[in-house]
Amino acid sequence: MKLRLGPYFMRQAIQNVRKNWLVHIVGVSTMVISLLIFGTFLLLFYNVDNWIHGWGDSFSMSIYLKDGIADTTRQKLLSLIRDLPGARIDRIITKKQAFLDLKRALGREGNVLEGLPKNPLPASIEVVFKSSDHSKPEPEKIRKKVETFEGVEEVQYSEEWLRRFEGLMSMFRLAGLIIGGLLGLGVLFIVTNTIKLTIYSRQEEIEIMKLVGATDWFVKTPFLLEGSIQGAVSGFFSILVLYGGYFLLSVKKADILGLALLDFVFIPQGYILTIFLVSIGLGLLGSFIALGRFFRL
Amino acid sequence: MIQLFHLYKKFGPNAALEDINLRVRRGEFAFVTGPSGAGKTTLLRLIFGAEKPTSGHILINGINLSRIGRKKLDLLRRKVGFVFQDFKLLTGRTVFDNVALALEVAGERPSYVRKKAHLALRSVGLVKKEQSYPLQLSGGEQQRVAIARAIVNDPLVLLADEPTGNLDPDLTREIMLLFRTIHMKGTTVLVATHSRELLQKTAQRQVILNRGKLIGEK
Repeated sequence: MKLRLGPYFMRQAIQNVRKNWLVHIVGVSTMVISLLIFGTFLLLFYNVDNWIHGWGDSFSMSIYLKDGIADTTRQKLLSLIRDLPGARIDRIITKKQAFLDLKRALGREGNVLEGLPKNPLPASIEVVFKSSDHSKPEPEKIRKKVETFEGVEEVQYSEEWLRRFEGLMSMFRLAGLIIGGLLGLGVLFIVTNTIKLTIYSRQEEIEIMKLVGATDWFVKTPFLLEGSIQGAVSGFFSILVLYGGYFLLSVKKADILGLALLDFVFIPQGYILTIFLVSIGLGLLGSFIALGRFFRL
Repeated sequence: MIQLFHLYKKFGPNAALEDINLRVRRGEFAFVTGPSGAGKTTLLRLIFGAEKPTSGHILINGINLSRIGRKKLDLLRRKVGFVFQDFKLLTGRTVFDNVALALEVAGERPSYVRKKAHLALRSVGLVKKEQSYPLQLSGGEQQRVAIARAIVNDPLVLLADEPTGNLDPDLTREIMLLFRTIHMKGTTVLVATHSRELLQKTAQRQVILNRGKLIGEK
């Protein structure tokens, strides 16, 4: 196909869009809504994923000590902890302090502890681990290492819930793929029908073009461009509306929803580009299907 | 230029053409005649490649239509002009754009398209109506636009299916004069008509069809 025909095809495609503007407005609106649903899902997914991984960057560990641990052993343990990558000792809780904390936590019911013959709670060390660019502390390895140390009774860390969240995120991801796929099919159906309508409206013109020697591709190309234009316009507007919604939510509504504490960000450029390109791709594919079905000349 | 060998065309159980053997030489002017339903339009559509024969062979300038693909057929159509009884003009495009279309589909340069479309319209006497729309023209003028479109590519063959069917006698004469002028320039012309008046006034070859069969020649 001759390259110089590019402007001709583009002109034809734009003329088609102008002639069938109502059909295209309906098509674009429906596509925007579908892409917007998908974009909203993507925005939520991206932020929730960010929050969870943000929390996952730090975890706390409680190291419970055996009763009667020697001071020298305790000092050795503390220096071992300080040497662990990303570790910061948050609090050292003595047996007495642990007892008082529990009593305070129980409030009015605290007097149940009065009858105990001796304090059953162990002393403990609260440690917070933070990931850095160079290293990511591995809780299970640390637990095993610290537990073997003389004078350590038990080690617990706060990552169990994170695993559950990651499982939830996998489900979320799967749901996203299913929703995305279904919406993609819907969009494809819309574009196919829009282009079908424009083909019908230009059937006479197509027939005459074929009679004067137009090749199939010469006739098809403006329709393919038309579908791509519809996809591009829909992609652009869906991103614009999505950003508008994000802006309103992040500025005004965040406090009400209690999201102010969390860092609510817009989807990254890569995702924006993906939505845009997928939209154009769906437009092109929809036109292709419409042409394949109805181009029997 | 046009050779037909044992050509058959059936539409369902009905035979539209039966065992047609015909040869039209390069630069010849011939009429295909016969009553309505004789198969004139089907014959022209087969020669143009708009229909496929049920059996038999069609050769245009030595090219067997049944042995070429769709794309080559599209390219061959650029060398075969077709004029229809109902003009088949695009009402939403100007006269100039209708004629230019035949060159645009061939991927010609815009400057060449402008020059050739202008020349074709001048040869049919419609330069002043270039920017008019088909529905602003008379029937004769519309047919002249269709002829300009058919000849703008300098075709080897010009096929015309009842080109004067919708026109009065004066306009018919005008259109036939145009065909003769085109023929004089070397184009092979094949005109399908059932108009006895038109045939009485001509000394050109006449191929007579009846009920799908070639029954004679004059």
